[in-house]
Amino acid sequence: MEKELRERARELLESGEVGVVIGYGWNRRKRRTTPVFIRKPEEAERLVFNPLCVNNLSVYLTRKYPDIQKLGRAAIVAKGCDIKNIVVLMAEGQLKRDDVYIIGVRCNGVVYRQELWQGELRPEIMPVKCHNCDVREPHVADTVVGEPVLFTPPEEPVGMVFDKIREIDAMSPEERWQFWMDHFSRCIKCYACRQVCSLCYCERCITEKNMPQWIETSAHPRGNLAWNLIRAMHLAGRCTFCGECERACPVNIPLNIINQKLVLVVKDAFEHRSGYDPDTHPPLIVYDTEDKEDFIK
Amino acid sequence: MEKSLLKKEALQKLIDGVREKGGRFVAPSILARQVVYREVDCADQMVHDYIVPRNSIKEFLFPQTEPILRFRLMREGVEVEDVRVEPERTVFFGVRPCDAASCGAVRKVFTWDYIDQFYTRREDSSVMMTIACTSSDDECFCTTVGVSPEGKEGADLLLKETVDGDYLVEAVTDRGRAFVEEFKDVFTEPDGAELKAVATPEPIEGVNIDNIIGFLKDRSHYNSEIWAELARKCVGCGACTFTCPTCRCFDMVDEGTYIEGERRKNWDSCQFDSFTLHASGHNPRDTQFKRWRNRFMCKFNFYPVKFSARGCVGCGRCIRVCPVRLDITEVMIEVSEAARDV
Amino acid sequence: MSNIYMPYLATIEDMFEEAPGVKTLNLVFKDPKVRESFEFKTGQFGLYSVFGYGESTFCIASPETRKGYIQCTFRRVGRVTTALSELSVGDTIGFRGPYGNWFPVEEWKGKNILFIAGGIGLPPVRSVIWTCLDRREDYGDVTMVYGARTVDDLVYKEELRHWEDRDDLTLIKTVDPGGEKEGWDGEVGFVPTVLEEAGPGAENTVCVICGPPVMIKFSLSVLERLGFRDDDVYTTLENKMKCGVGKCGRCNVGDVYICKEGPVYTAAQIKKMYNDF
Repeated sequence: MEKELRERARELLESGEVGVVIGYGWNRRKRRTTPVFIRKPEEAERLVFNPLCVNNLSVYLTRKYPDIQKLGRAAIVAKGCDIKNIVVLMAEGQLKRDDVYIIGVRCNGVVYRQELWQGELRPEIMPVKCHNCDVREPHVADTVVGEPVLFTPPEEPVGMVFDKIREIDAMSPEERWQFWMDHFSRCIKCYACRQVCSLCYCERCITEKNMPQWIETSAHPRGNLAWNLIRAMHLAGRCTFCGECERACPVNIPLNIINQKLVLVVKDAFEHRSGYDPDTHPPLIVYDTEDKEDFIK
Repeated sequence: MEKSLLKKEALQKLIDGVREKGGRFVAPSILARQVVYREVDCADQMVHDYIVPRNSIKEFLFPQTEPILRFRLMREGVEVEDVRVEPERTVFFGVRPCDAASCGAVRKVFTWDYIDQFYTRREDSSVMMTIACTSSDDECFCTTVGVSPEGKEGADLLLKETVDGDYLVEAVTDRGRAFVEEFKDVFTEPDGAELKAVATPEPIEGVNIDNIIGFLKDRSHYNSEIWAELARKCVGCGACTFTCPTCRCFDMVDEGTYIEGERRKNWDSCQFDSFTLHASGHNPRDTQFKRWRNRFMCKFNFYPVKFSARGCVGCGRCIRVCPVRLDITEVMIEVSEAARDV
Repeated sequence: MSNIYMPYLATIEDMFEEAPGVKTLNLVFKDPKVRESFEFKTGQFGLYSVFGYGESTFCIASPETRKGYIQCTFRRVGRVTTALSELSVGDTIGFRGPYGNWFPVEEWKGKNILFIAGGIGLPPVRSVIWTCLDRREDYGDVTMVYGARTVDDLVYKEELRHWEDRDDLTLIKTVDPGGEKEGWDGEVGFVPTVLEEAGPGAENTVCVICGPPVMIKFSLSVLERLGFRDDDVYTTLENKMKCGVGKCGRCNVGDVYICKEGPVYTAAQIKKMYNDF
């Protein structure tokens, strides 16, 4: 697959169709992968794809990266799950289909975190999104590389996140509050969750607005709760459950639980699944007379 | 008695002793599936098999958020109340030599002319029990920046693990000696047990710190194209700066109601766009690579040259937590190379 | 001094509207001992706080020669300056300072002084102007070029009239083309252009310049043509600050901490700095 990937990248750069290929490469010790920006055809050899390629590179397509945009039209190496975010960017008018050349990669799953890799992709080290993946064959792409993948996601989603959601749903409001306050208490306000998210593309985040100060910036329980709630709310109906925020969190806050809960709520209320159709707007930013009103009691 | 023995069975007695005198005992422990330095009250909460804890000890000396004054708005004006830190003694057990070495750097900034007593009072009332490293990982690079995995810098007591799991204790400072004296019923005579081998990371090939400093000091390299190249993938979060033991930048904010509130000192990061943003909209570091360049400059130029201190102790946290694996050692290699080419 | 972040409390004794969005506050320290002992040097700055909103950094705009009060002039742009401008006479604010270095007015004795300022860049220069005017006999010719975008944007309008009336000072005031209005008796043109036309001599003269970066940039080349040495041209730099005492880490221009080693620099010093503006 890597041969195919490199060849495609080389052609794109040689023909001048793109100015940069955003993909994965090895780090110095060849034990971790890291984003690379390939600009010369001969550098296409640096591109790799393997289960360590966890990053969702679509973040580099957002307007937060004017320096990358200056490199010219971009091609991006994207797994199906990453493509979902590109689709949302298109749905939200952040990107036109022609702005980006998508090199879709057929994927057999990645690791939850690169440190877990010991040479073999075992189910225990894969994130929940991979166990339920319905886009191992990339759903929107200009070209697709890799061997066809034989995988059918389970009818009912499986994985720890879903178990945990059921567990939390069964809690009393007090227990639930305590559960989240315990986790949020560790937040150090590094905003890694926001920065790796390609859907957190605001140039000025609400936490940076201080007239008035909507969110207290201190990393005390009140400020941490406010930040984590606002982050979740701003992603409701948009989040594709790519898992980047949880992966990036240096203090292990289980953000995937919040995100998946939001995905379920939105699916239930609006029959909307984020990241599949570039022509459908996220439900919370549009008004639809057909919207359910069963929340009005 | 310069050397003594701390039996692993005696740890609980030490913890109890410190706590009975109103102190806190901070040691590596598990929290949310990570090893972190945190306050413990029981030896069972401690872990002994760890490389570098996720957090650095700075959060105990320079908390993420702390009030620095309180105010109350009244009809006849404003009442402002000073917040004085009267810290309890903190005993740091199991501190890695890299972390202990970082305190000197942070102190230099907090005592540069004006003295920030929020920091100095806490540091002055702490006891640093460093343990030499017996394991390391790919990210450890202390030896590359001149820190030793059995170094005494910043330590009051240097501990080395024996094959039995006890600790051979060497007093480094007077404070350390006094501590052993104070708890002499806990520390015993060395029993001559063999020591575990110290894990010394290989210095990274191709890095030359003097060349890096020289390159950075030359102002003409500030506009070099390498910075945009090297930092292109940086997403601009604060994970590296917040876990770094020598990063100590902060913000000051007022919080509260219309009637009363407090002014707080909060960790801030030079990687944030808002860090240097003027109210007018002008931003001297308006793109991410400029912010990343500033951090690298701070570590390998401002700290060593301006403050004669270590900007980087090689703990490797910034590499481990970086969501895009922007590896500072890779940049060090590139800059060393660029310096050679000049 | 145990808590370096504790401000003095000061009462707003008076407040003036200088230009749209620009105000001057007259501040008197509440503590009589502070009022008595407070001293500063022209060019130093302070952090002014509105409790509940935070602190903001401005130079002290009054001269070091006037005791018992200090003044600051600021434009309403952000959270703190907005809160400050909404306060009334009699309200209490916080002040920390004086911080930073100053203009070496002592060393300038016997020299001519050229002041150049643009828009809201006048307040720091004004502190130096009054300091020198209050010791007028110590200095030679005093010339001043001041410009703003429009007539309304000129600050210290009354003082400008006073300076115009004085015969021991030459004031050239100007507004940008299109910024003039009926009755305007000054020049029309950008500060660097007006400066070049006036062509003040560089002989035995120091220059103090403050204003928007673009004005400074073009004025510096004019000054060079007029024969000024970089060592004789002084300015004051601004950067975002929080602590004001060299700790918080954001005001550095390369390795230079504006709050501790600045804010006053010569053009020669600035040319040696990292390009981190």
